[in-house]
Parts: sequence; structure tokens; C-alpha cells
Amino acid sequence: MKRKYFTAIAAACVLVLLGSCSGSKDRLYLYNWIYYIPEDVIEDFQKESGIRVVVDSYASNEEMYNKLLAGGKGYDIVVPSGDYVSIMIAGGMLQRLDMGKIPNYANLDASALNRIRFDTGNRFSIPFMMGAAGVSVNKTKVSGYEHSWNIFERNDLNGRMTMLDDMREILGAALKYLGYSVNDSDPAHLEEARLVVEEWKPNLVKFDAESFARGFAGGEFWVVQGYAENVYIEYEPSRYSEIDFFFPKEGMPMYMDSFCILKDAENVEAAYKFINFMLRPDIAARVSDYLMLPSPNVPARALMTVTPNYQFEDLAKGEFKEDLGAQTLLLYNEVWRRIRVGN
Amino acid sequence: MKKPDFIKAFSFSRTVYAVTIMFLFMPLLVLVLYSFNESRSGSWTGFSLRWYVKLFTDSSDLWRAFGNSAIVALSSALVATVIGTLGAVGVNWYRFRLRGYLRTITFLPMILPEIIIGVSLLVFFSGLGIRLGLFTVFVAHVSFNLPFVFLLVLARLEEFDFSIIEASRDLGATELQTLWRVILPLTMPGIMSGFLTAVTLSLEDFVITFFVTGPGATTLPLYVYSAIRFGVSPVINALSVVMILGTVVLAWSMRRFLKNIAAK
Repeated sequence: MKRKYFTAIAAACVLVLLGSCSGSKDRLYLYNWIYYIPEDVIEDFQKESGIRVVVDSYASNEEMYNKLLAGGKGYDIVVPSGDYVSIMIAGGMLQRLDMGKIPNYANLDASALNRIRFDTGNRFSIPFMMGAAGVSVNKTKVSGYEHSWNIFERNDLNGRMTMLDDMREILGAALKYLGYSVNDSDPAHLEEARLVVEEWKPNLVKFDAESFARGFAGGEFWVVQGYAENVYIEYEPSRYSEIDFFFPKEGMPMYMDSFCILKDAENVEAAYKFINFMLRPDIAARVSDYLMLPSPNVPARALMTVTPNYQFEDLAKGEFKEDLGAQTLLLYNEVWRRIRVGN
Repeated sequence: MKKPDFIKAFSFSRTVYAVTIMFLFMPLLVLVLYSFNESRSGSWTGFSLRWYVKLFTDSSDLWRAFGNSAIVALSSALVATVIGTLGAVGVNWYRFRLRGYLRTITFLPMILPEIIIGVSLLVFFSGLGIRLGLFTVFVAHVSFNLPFVFLLVLARLEEFDFSIIEASRDLGATELQTLWRVILPLTMPGIMSGFLTAVTLSLEDFVITFFVTGPGATTLPLYVYSAIRFGVSPVINALSVVMILGTVVLAWSMRRFLKNIAAK
């Protein structure tokens, strides 16, 4: 009796395992940032196209890239940020796109597309969402500050501030503060940037990209650098007025997450259909509503029902993070290591 | 001389006991509490079941990850239990060359850091050109579950009276009959605890799974990990409460089940 029970479980498990290996023709494997596309949008695509979408999520570009590099085959679409688009193009991991199959590309804001350097002319990548980390200030606790990176110099906020645990964001902020490019490769400029960060560091509780928003919402931290969506999601809408989210006037590093089709994708047609679907104004508006972010999709902006956390125009002072190249990356790593660990 | 009751109540061992229990269960208590919180944030704003509603109506990604975890846990534990039990019986019963080495080598995956097992399995799978997915996760979990089952069953085997087996053969049972009718029933508690340990280990594994997972094979720990970037949603608290309840029920019924076997 017991044995029969076990045999039944075993048989069921083997069937499921076998089932998961076969029949990938009408499926689309999407490897995406977590919580980036609402589930009902995916469901609508499945209903409209009859294509099943299998979604796996990652939490950082590095995670996704290393997984693919280590032999993670089977994905069709990935959504890397700008700098990783160029790294993956250079690595020969992406397919050249056939724009004829993505007519909705025309909906994208030309002013945003023109600033792209990681894939000029979008031969391999289709922009999806654009944004930047900024600074959130708890207005009930802090006053008399400029919208500038210099807020992190304030000694009186010692122990009440956090910045992201992210090399490009921190060094990019310092470089922008000094008036340089976020992709600057001059060692002298980087040394200056390091000194700026060393000045901020004693005032910070920590470099943190995971739990800062919760601490901010709980009143533990008063000034945090981070993505607006992470901060707002911790708040009830009634308390939104307590948050002052701004992009410092000096500018900031910016990201553009783009759809790319992998070279070894098996369901290329389905991938094109999906990308084109995501660029449809009504769908792009739903995604932007969900994320509370401005849309790079021009006709979608009129269809949005939620006020985004910031306006598309606010991003004008930002600069896209580009791939640094191996040599400069080493330099950045060394500067970052000195900041994090000390000399 | 009899100490008054209140001194007994505050004795050293009781204090240690109380502190330990608190240390073990406080985090769980906080987790349960916040699954009923109305708001997402860390502050308590009122009782609500909205996260449970969301869990059961609007979390298909989470449930898919949970389903993957359940499939892998049950199937890998089952296979590991069968192989591990047969291995333990073999090593305990027969004398053959390299027997000592076999015993030692089986423990290796238990001692090796998970990250090394993960990387080596990944290199192995890509070397053989096996496509990463649920199947590779299953194989990896069988491999790290094996030594635990092997050890638990072996411990049980070493403890029972060998003369029972001699008696069984003496009375005319074949080798196979002895295995089915005598050895397996007697080692059943060891086998069951091996199986349950394997299920638990498999459900919670992150490091090894991280390396060998592929398209469509996100397990629950992997999903929760990538979700942390957006702050842990109370939906995950709610799922944890459901899982804790499930585990308690399972453990309780298993205890009765094992007691019954032991009594027989």
C-alpha cells in the first residue's frame, strides 16, 4: 500500500520532468528583471498569440550575464541594461534585429534613442524602460537642502543616510558632481571622484541596495540614494507627500533596459511578436503604470492612468552608463575596492 | 534542603532553554505577524488578509516557483532514498574490495562546500552539453541528498541484530525476500527520516540550484532571492506561514506514523 503510493509519486514526478524537457515550439523563454512586467500583461500576450511565456527572473545584470556565459542555454529574450548590451554584442551573444518585424519601434521617443551609445541605431536592442537612481529625502525630518549630490556631505545627517552598493552608481554620482562623464576613464578624474566619495562615506550608514527603502519608510534613514520605485513601493499612497525624490542638478548615471534576442534563441518569431507587443502603446502604458515610471513610448504617455514618480523630462540631465572596456573597468574596480575596503 | 519554587523556575538551564527557544522562534513569530500586516512597510498598520488573498489569486510566478521546488524535492528525495538505501544495505551487508573507500567517498558531498559542488556540476553539465533546466536541478539534488540518506539508513542498519537476517535465511527466505520482508521494514524509520531530510534539504537549497538551474526551472529560494531587490513582499511571508503550517502537519503525522512502525 505504502509502496504503491511511492510508485505513484515517482511516476508523476518522472512524467513532469519529462514533460518539462519536451515541446518548446510554441513557448517563449523570457529571462527578465524580477517584477518588471506585470503578470496580467504576460497573460494577455499568451491569450492573443497562443504562445506560452516561461519567465525566469534575475536581480542584476551580472547574474544574468554570468548565467548565460556559463552555458545557460534555452532563453530567447533577455533584458540587459545599456552597458551590458554592448558587452553582449561584443561577445557575439545577441542577434541582429529585423526591424521590419517590430513596427511599434516607431513609438519610441527619438530624443531618447538619439542619446544611446551602447548600441547606436538599435541594431541589437529595443529600448524598454529608462530610468535612473536618484535621491529620496524624508521631508518631515530634513530641510534646507539643495537638489544636489552635496547633500551627502552634510555631517548633521551622519548615520541617517545610505547610498547604493553599486560601483557604477556611486562613482558615476561623484564624477557627475565634479562635472565629468559617468563613463570617464581618466585616472586623475577617478582619483578626484574617490576623494569625493571618501568625504561622503563617514556620513553614510552603509552602502546598500536591498533594504535601504524599508529603512527609509520606517524613518530610520532620512536621505537615501536609490531607485524611486523601490522607495515608493514601501509607502502607502497617503504618505507619498513625505518623500522628496529628486535627480541632483549635476546629473546622474542612467540606465536603459532593452529587449535583446539571444543568438541561440529557438523561438525567434515568438520573440519578435513579444517585443512588438510590449511596444504597443496600451501595453507600454500598463507597464509604466505598474512600475510608476515614465515611458519612453510616446503614445503610451497619454494612456497612463498613474502619475509616475518622476517625469520623462527629468531624465534629460542623466547620462547612460556605457561599457567601460576591460582596462577602465579594472581602474574602476580598484577605486571601488579602496572605497569599500580601505587601502 | 528544598529550594523554593521560584528559584527552580529561574535556574540556569531553564534560562538557557527559554532564551534558546526565544531565539529560534522569535524570527518566525515576526514573520507570521507581518504576514497579517495591512501595509507593505515595516510598520504595523492593522490586521488584514490582503497578502493571503494576493498569494492565492495573483501570484502565479510564485506558485510556479513553488511547484518547481516541490517537484524537484519529492522526485530527488525519492530517487536519493532508493539509491541511498540500497547503497547502505549493500555496504553493510556485503564484503567487497574498496568498501571502505566507498563509505568515505559517499560522505564527500556532505563535507564539500556547496559552491564547489555547484560549480563542478555546472561545468560537468555544460561539458556534456546537457541543457540546464529542471532535469539538471533534479540530478544535482539527488547527488547532494544521497549521503544524508545513506548515513541515516546505515546508522539504523548498524544498530539492529544481524541474527535476524541469519534466521530469515535459515528459515528458507531468499536474499531478495529477506531484503523486502525483513531488512526494509526494520530500517523503515531510518529510510523515512532520510527521505524527509532529503525533502527539506532540497526545498531549501539555494547555492547549488543557482548554478544548475535553467529556463523555466526557477525554484522558490531562487525566486525569493531575486525578489529581495524590491523588498521582501509580505506575500512571501504569507507563503511562509502556509508552508510552516504544512510542515507542522506533516511532521506531526510522520511522528505518529514512525511511532506505529517502531511499535510493530
